[in-house]
Formats: sequence, structure tokens, C-alpha cells
Amino acid sequence: MKKLTSRILLGVSLLTSAACTKIDNYDGPNASFEGRLIDAATGENFQTSTGSVTVRLEQISWSETPVPQDIPSKMDGTFKDTKLFSGHYRITPIGGAFWPVYEPVEMDISKGSSHNFELTPYLVITNFTQELNGNNLTLRFSIDAPIGAGLPTIIEAQPYVNTTKLVGPGASIFNYSDALKVPVNKEWINMTDEDKTIEITVPDLVPGRKFFVRVGVRLNDSYKSSNLSQIVEIDVPQ
Amino acid sequence: MKRYSKLILAVMAGILVSCQKLDIKPTNVVTEDVVFNGEAGMNVYMANIYRKLPIEDFRYRPGGEGRAGMNLHHEWQNFFHMGAAIGEMVGPFGDTYEITSGFGYWPYDDIRAVNYVLENLPKYSANFTGNRVNELLGEAYFCRAFFYFALVKRYGGVPIVTTVQNYPQQSIEELQMHRDKEEDVWNFIGEDLDKAYEMMPEKSPRGRANKYVALALKSRAMLYAGSIAKYGSVNYVDGDARAQGLVGIPAESANGFFTKAWEAASLLEGKYELYNQTPGDKVKNYVDAFLDPASKENILVRDYSKLPNLESAHSWDATFSPGYMTVGPESRAYPTLEFVERWGKLPIVDANDYPIKYDNLADLMNGLEPRLLATVYFPGATLRGYTFDTQRGLYENMFTGTATQEVAKPLDSRASITASDPNTLYNGRRIIGQAGMKRPGSPDNATRTGFFVRKYIDYNKDKSQTGLFQSEQAWIEFRYGEILLNRAEAAMELSNPGDALYCINQLRERAGGPHLNSITLDDVRNERCKELAFENHYYWDLKRWRIADVVLDNAKFKGLMPYYIISENKYIFLAERETFDRTYTFEKKFYYEAIPGGELAKNPNLYPNNPNY
Repeated sequence: MKKLTSRILLGVSLLTSAACTKIDNYDGPNASFEGRLIDAATGENFQTSTGSVTVRLEQISWSETPVPQDIPSKMDGTFKDTKLFSGHYRITPIGGAFWPVYEPVEMDISKGSSHNFELTPYLVITNFTQELNGNNLTLRFSIDAPIGAGLPTIIEAQPYVNTTKLVGPGASIFNYSDALKVPVNKEWINMTDEDKTIEITVPDLVPGRKFFVRVGVRLNDSYKSSNLSQIVEIDVPQ
Repeated sequence: MKRYSKLILAVMAGILVSCQKLDIKPTNVVTEDVVFNGEAGMNVYMANIYRKLPIEDFRYRPGGEGRAGMNLHHEWQNFFHMGAAIGEMVGPFGDTYEITSGFGYWPYDDIRAVNYVLENLPKYSANFTGNRVNELLGEAYFCRAFFYFALVKRYGGVPIVTTVQNYPQQSIEELQMHRDKEEDVWNFIGEDLDKAYEMMPEKSPRGRANKYVALALKSRAMLYAGSIAKYGSVNYVDGDARAQGLVGIPAESANGFFTKAWEAASLLEGKYELYNQTPGDKVKNYVDAFLDPASKENILVRDYSKLPNLESAHSWDATFSPGYMTVGPESRAYPTLEFVERWGKLPIVDANDYPIKYDNLADLMNGLEPRLLATVYFPGATLRGYTFDTQRGLYENMFTGTATQEVAKPLDSRASITASDPNTLYNGRRIIGQAGMKRPGSPDNATRTGFFVRKYIDYNKDKSQTGLFQSEQAWIEFRYGEILLNRAEAAMELSNPGDALYCINQLRERAGGPHLNSITLDDVRNERCKELAFENHYYWDLKRWRIADVVLDNAKFKGLMPYYIISENKYIFLAERETFDRTYTFEKKFYYEAIPGGELAKNPNLYPNNPNY
């Protein structure tokens, strides 16, 4: 029995020593890439939400037809990925309400790489004011287009209300947000000044609660995404 | 030693007599000369092609959890239905995206099997009588067109392969074909179907194609191409694939395709007719149109059998009705109120928005179009002696506000009495019905919308025969009803409303609905959605009309919720959001599915992928 055991042990140790002799010839994902998405109209970070702007990476040093990988942007308009393979990449921000970036950046990504992207928004939301009457919240804002010609059709405006500061499309309370959509369905050139000033009232907010509120205007480009305002906090009195 | 020499002698002798016949045919492979030896061999070969034909039948599962795809043998969850992800019904799908990515359909092995017939059958023409070889070749062209149709409606342009490819005789580089333009693929389908129409006979055995089946597919395919050309050139996603014509068709090609669709559909006039066996009972007539194997409306059907050696039966009866009417385990997909209101608003509130009170649940059905009642089971309808006792709760006394005000209140803050278990009683009375309404968390089997599917449900079956894999009613892939709708839509697109009216009024006559005096494109589309409900057309229609991203834009759907007023002994109906309150969204990039990742890895020439993938 002892003989058998030692033989098995010998066999296992032989196999073990023979295995793994080929060391992986690629480095691990030790590169990182981060940066800001900058609103060209205001110079501040681009207002995004969950599931909108992503930074698309294509590792062209690996393949001529690489499988794209996306870094989702954070709500504050920054992005970061610390588990990337070093190499030469083609990089394009996509998916948000900004003029498409037709000339992607090509650069080497290694440890600590960063790049900021300047994006021209379809629309800019200005003069955003909030007025609370009892538990009815009136939101007023204006929209302006940095580039008017060829702007996608403007579909609708709507408030986004949530109980956390993660608020925006896909993260809002339906009855305070999607249910209060204001249809626009107009081309920018056909919009009057009145059309460009929008007022929406969110009725019957729950008293004694804190809400995070922003407004957005949605455009009919291929992503149907929205230009968004800053996020404000609203405390509804008891 | 002597022993060894004998052994050696024996081995030597063995070697001498062996290897006489090395060149024998393999016994486990059916070879070309057997298959092409005559009708019997061809029947077997074609049966395999038909089995894999991309017919989106009862068992077709477009995506979602578990196994998705075509022709699944032991797929019982028939409620994973395409319509249940897009608001025709609501069902087990959490959102539309569960079906929009597809399942990597890439049937080039099947296309190769067809090309094999086209390339090799003519060599064996001596084995067939008369014109049979040509007829069989025509059938092969039909099958090839069907496979390409299933590809192009998903991906846009794909490589057109017309020969039998061989590896390793051909190099990898030679086999890595480029995508063809979307328009060229649609034209190729049209040409194959023209050949099929020329070559095939007028009559064919049940379940197999003849020249009119080729026309039926042609009318459908050319209509799709026309609408993609017209509407896809307005609502599209930009990208390299579009710039190269791999997806998208120039708008100026639209009329050519619509004309081909109209011509193909018109040629079928007089060859088939709308089912009208019991015109005196239009509900029964419409129900039977989907169950009567002898229906003259059927153009191509697929049959099923529960015989042990075939085992292809489906589970439609078991999975679309509540459990107390079947042996089946559960139902999970239910028609929406939005779908039902394609027939017009139901009379559930008066002019001042107060609910209308009914003596019986079933009274709401009075005066509705027979086709609607034959398509959907309403509250109060019966099946196999059981009643759909759908009810969401009780009111001790009628509420005072309007229906809109009442619906705006959350369920728990209303005066109504509700429960999640049908066996919970209130003063000896069921609070909710056995058929529903279902509340989140309670078991399946109960409707979320107040309705159940009736189309294709075999009411003649005894309850004991309604278990899983016991349904044998045929799937009707092409029927004359669709042809009339294809023709009417093509006619409208070609500015010929008179012909569209002629087609639509035939359908309305059979359906028991009022005739139209004038017609719009929206009328034709609405009629299509009503007539072809639950037949796996709605998804492709929404896509080719390029309205899916508008119709399914954070969309929520409603149901019809019956309540019983105890003090008045009356029923009321409220239109409320379906009880799961799910949201459905279709992104524009989903108008084309992504080329399957595995194929892109094998063949880089398939790049560029479709826009935004």
C-alpha cells in the first residue's frame, strides 16, 4: 500500500513539474486609462447618466478588426478603467447627446494613461430654476444649441426625480419623471423662442423627503439620448 | 519455438488475405448515389432541410433565459413568444432587449445542404421521371431563399453563397467571403423565388412547397425589402456598414420591391381562399381557421406528432391557458389592453369617465368583433367547461370618483379588497379569480392583463390531452389572410387604395367586422396587427416599419382589470398597468442584429459589423 502511495505521489509530482513550463508571453492587464469628458460649450464636465456616454476602445495593435470594449462614464463626466492591456488603441466617445466624434483618438495606453475628450453637446440647458410651492415643484429652463444646423429632431423634455443622487434616464421615479414627459417633436430651426423655454411641474412630492432633481431634453439621434442639467437637491417640507 | 512458427504462419496468412477490399464504401454514411437514386432518397434529404427551415413556429424561441433558437425539439416554454417582449403580449421577458440580440442564427450549413442538391441532382436525372428533377431543383431554390430571408431580415447584407464550399480543397482565404449589400441579398431572394415559381408544380404534398408557396414567400420578402428601403432611409443608425450598403437599401428601390410584392400576392388570387366553413358563427369560424387541417386558406403548414418515434408535438395548449383548464404547468404570456384596443376602446367607462356596471363578467363581450373574441379569451369566456373568472378584487361599495382618479391611487390605498391567492375568501366569496389577476410574487397561471390567448388553442381537446408535448395542431406559416395583407400594404405604398380596400374588406367580412369605405396606410397596418396577432409577425413588422424605437420607448402596457361590487352585485372594469408594471425599450441599433461574434472571429471579412455594435 505504501509502495502504491509513493508511486502515485511520484507520478503526481512528475506531472506537476512537467506542467506549466510555458510561461504566458503576454503581460497582464496592468495598463489604465482615465480622463474627463468636457462639455465644449461650458468647459465643465459633460452631464451624463447611467447607460449613456461610453468611451469605446479598440485595440488596433492586437487585431485589425478588434472587438470593441467600452468604459462607461461616471455620472460626474469622468471615466476610468484600471484593468486594460497595454497597446495601441483607437478611442471614441459614443452614446451621448453630443455631435458624433468622427475622428477618433489613436494613442498608446500603458500604466497611468489619460486623455480628456471635448464633446460638443447637441443642446445646452441654461437658466435652470426650481420653485417649490407646498409639495409641487415647478422647474423652468431654457435650451440653446451650440450648432443649430443638422441637429437631430428634439423629441421631448422631462424632469428626472429620484431619492438618490444617481438620477437621470433609467434612474428615476416613474410618476415624477417619465410620466411627466413634455412632447416636443420639432426640428431646432422650427422652434420659436417660446418653445425653447420650458416649464414643467412635478406635483404631489412626498412631504418630508429629500429629492434629487434634474431635467433633460431628448434628441432623435441613433442613441436617442438626452442633454441633462446639473443635479439639484430639493427638500420637501413636512 | 514450433509454437511460435505456427503463430507467425497464421499472422502471415492473415496479412495475405486482408486488405483485399480496402476501397469499400463507408456503411455509416449515406452517399450521393443513394440520396439521388429516386424519390425515396430525396424525400429523406428534403425532410431534413424542411425540419431546419426557419419557420418561427410554436417552438421558436427568440431569446431570453435558456435555449433560444429555431426548431427546438424539447422546448415546452412556448410562452417565450416574440410578441411577449414587445407589447403584443406581456410575458416572461423582462424587457425587449432579451430578444433583440437574437441567438446567433447563421444557417450556412443548411444553405450548403441546399446548394448540394442544386449542384449534384442534375447528374442523376435518369433516376427521376418526367420533369421531377426540375421540380425538385425549384423546391431547393425556394428553401435557399427562405434561409437567406431569415438571415437578411436579421443582419442586413450577408455573404451570398451559391456553390458547395469544400474544405480543405479550398483555402481558408477563399472561404472567408465578404458580406454582400443588403439590397443585393433581397434581390437574390427574389430571383431564387422566381426560379422556384417557374420550376415547381402547382400541387405538393402537405407540408412541402409548390409554386404558390414560393409566391407567398416572395410577397412577404419583397414587402419587407420595400419598407426597409422606404423607412430605413429615414430612420437609421450611421456607420461604416451603412456607408458601404451592407445595411440599408436606397429609398428609390422601394417602389420596385413593393411592385414585386404586389404582383406575387395578386397571382395567388383564386388559388386559395379565406376559411369560411361556418359563416353563421363567425367566432367559431375564425377559431377553426387555425385548427381545421383541411382549411383552404393554408398555403404552407408544418405538422407535429407525439408518436414516440417523431416526438415533435408542441405545448401551446399547456402553456397559454390557466392551469385549471389544462394539464399544463403554467401560462406566462398575456395579450395587452393596447393590443385589444386595436379594435377600438372597450366600453368600460361612460362619457364622464365613470365605470360602466355590468351584471355579468361576460357581458363586456357583447357586440365585440367575432375575430377579436376568437383571438383573445376575455374575462367571463369559457374553455372546456371552465370559466375565465378573472377578477382583481372586490369593492364593498362603489367608489365615488372617476375611473382615472381611482386608477391613479396605488392598489393598497384603495377601498378595494385584494389578495394574491385565489383561495382566499371574503364572506365566502373569492377575492381574485383562479384565472387572475396575478400579483407579483404569486404563482404563474394567472393573467397579468385580464386576457388569455385564444388563437390556436384547441378547444376540442379533452383536458387530459392538454399536457406538455401533446399539442399537434399544425403551424400555418403562410395563409391567404397574410397574402391579402401583403397585397393591401404594397398597394397602399404604391398609391392604389382601391385595391387595398378590396383586400381589407374581404378580411373584415370573414372577421365579422364592419367594411371600410376609405382606407389609410395606418388602417392597413392596424388590420395586419389584428389579423396576424400572435403569429410571430408583429416584431418584424415593427422593425421594418422602423417604428419599434417609437412604439417601444420606455413603454408600459395596460390590462383590463375586473372588480366585483358587492353591495350592487355588479362588475366594473378598470384599465390599469399590467400587474408587473414592466418597461420595454427598443434601441435603434437593434433594427439590425450584430453579426454573431463567433463568425466575426472566424472570418474578419465580415467586418464592418452593423452600426453601433
